[in-house]
Amino acid sequence: MIKIENLEKIYRMGSVEVRALDGINLGIGKGEFLGIMGASGSGKTTLLHMLGLLDYPTSGKITIDGTDIGTLSDYERTMFRLYRLGYVFQDYALVPDLTVNENVCLSAMLRKDRTPEQYGVSCDDILRKIGMYDRREHLPRELSGGQQQRVSIARAIVNKPDILFADEPCANLDTENSRMVLDLFKEINEEMQQTIVMVSHEDWHKDYFHRIVKLRDGKVVSDTAT
Amino acid sequence: MGKKELKVAFLLALRSLQRGSRSSAILTILIVGMCFTNMIFLPGLFNGIGQSITKQVVDYEVGNVLVSPKSGDQYVTDLSATLDLINGMPGVERATPHFTKGATLTYRQRILGVSVRAISPNDEKYVSPLYTKMIAGSYLGQDDTGEVIIGKPVAGDPSIRQEDEFQPSLGGVRVGDSITIDYGNGYVKDYRVKGIFFTGWSQADSAVYTTSTDMALADPKSVDNADYITVKAKPGYSETFIKNELIQYGVTPKVQTTADLLAKNLGRALQSFAIINMVSLIVSIIITTVVLFIVITIKTINSRRQIGILKAIGVDKEVIMHSYGFQVMILAVLGIILGLIIAIALAAYMTIHPVVTPEWSATLYLTPMDLVMNSLILFMAALVAGYVPAYQVSREDIQTAMRA
Repeated sequence: MIKIENLEKIYRMGSVEVRALDGINLGIGKGEFLGIMGASGSGKTTLLHMLGLLDYPTSGKITIDGTDIGTLSDYERTMFRLYRLGYVFQDYALVPDLTVNENVCLSAMLRKDRTPEQYGVSCDDILRKIGMYDRREHLPRELSGGQQQRVSIARAIVNKPDILFADEPCANLDTENSRMVLDLFKEINEEMQQTIVMVSHEDWHKDYFHRIVKLRDGKVVSDTAT
Repeated sequence: MGKKELKVAFLLALRSLQRGSRSSAILTILIVGMCFTNMIFLPGLFNGIGQSITKQVVDYEVGNVLVSPKSGDQYVTDLSATLDLINGMPGVERATPHFTKGATLTYRQRILGVSVRAISPNDEKYVSPLYTKMIAGSYLGQDDTGEVIIGKPVAGDPSIRQEDEFQPSLGGVRVGDSITIDYGNGYVKDYRVKGIFFTGWSQADSAVYTTSTDMALADPKSVDNADYITVKAKPGYSETFIKNELIQYGVTPKVQTTADLLAKNLGRALQSFAIINMVSLIVSIIITTVVLFIVITIKTINSRRQIGILKAIGVDKEVIMHSYGFQVMILAVLGIILGLIIAIALAAYMTIHPVVTPEWSATLYLTPMDLVMNSLILFMAALVAGYVPAYQVSREDIQTAMRA
């Protein structure tokens, strides 16, 4: 499903070059729940941003379902993100002026293949699934961190994306809420055969992943099935 | 941009205004409203002054068309025949002659130089509303002799000392008092003040009116001569039509419409007004544009991370740009509505309480076209001010925006 070939990302800060990704080669299959782990600065988030079309690699190639994403125009990348990818951010990244319901429905509203009735039903279903239906008219600031992260997950999966990317989604949550979020990911993965790529540095998260890729200094140092 | 994209852009704009900083939105609307008011107030006031002057010139000086002596002549001659000719023309309500003579008024110890205007009181009623402006006593009868009506500034105020007067007067003449008029040709006569009027038009208010019958006694030349004839058009007939008709019918003296006279005498003043209006308009537009530019720039800078997130979840940059565009449109429309309310309220207030000066009185003269044009200009300026920062920030790459 995802093929990464010789991926490199170099940040230039004045005369200093920082090699964030250094020749990554990786394949990710459909329905996999992949964990990308590693120490801080190992390149986990950078890799996720490359895969999620949030940033451009310096060199190398990423192919998703046969599409070389390096050849896409800016607009095509946006549409690719809208129709095929979902994101869960570490700090939830909800739009503060929109209610829970509006946050979840926003990207669904933009899809040309969804009528208002269809996305209305999808949003209601997903909010019920994550236990936030009763709080759908609340603003993000009226929710706890765990609740906000659940809304963020609902927003990411409402369009039934091919791949769900999660960048340390439990970093700001306590253990109970973290477990709730991971359980939700596991459920989505099992029920919907959803491909999930998640960045984490918590050791106990390993139990949830099918496969763990460890990075160090921008290189893959291990790739193991659990 | 499809309907769905515009709908999402509008939703984002509306929610940002509803749930964002309310004080910032209200302040912006107030500023736009004040700029709109400023844009139309000064031109409206100048238009009001222009309208007021035009109306007063029509009412107390010219009528709609002025017939004055040919070049080189002192008077309009053959008066009876000329008046008959003009009054017989279609579209003419009434033509009435004016004969003006310089004179010296004496009342108690006061002496005052004035113009005495001889009119035909009954005909004058068709041309001028002077008879409705009597503040004391009554208007002239058709064949009154030995009686005059005088303007309020000429009559004066007994409570003001002579040295404190803004304009020389007779120091407090009342109806029924006797004043002496010396025409300077040896004809000196005592007149009874029949009435005192106030029109608000300084040239009329500084004059003394008597009847043509009386003036014939003071100056026999006035019997079949006039300084000028004022012609009033019937409703529905244009000044130009009357002018052309007079010329066509062989009225030999000089024929000018009010517009002709105002263009000559007020042309420079009107040009000055137009320049001031333009400066005021440009300043208002600049202020509105800069304010909205700053407001939207601050909004976009504060929302860079949010813009990055929206792009990350698949919201196109055009949608983001239009969401800020819609915010500006909403703020501009609300500001313009506020400005319209203020302007209409001011116009209503000034209709009841016009700006009065010794020379003229003016209201705020606003036409629907002025309001529509200024609204459109301000709206367009607001769009430019809003879209420029929105365009810039919406093109920022996701990583840079999200790191903000």
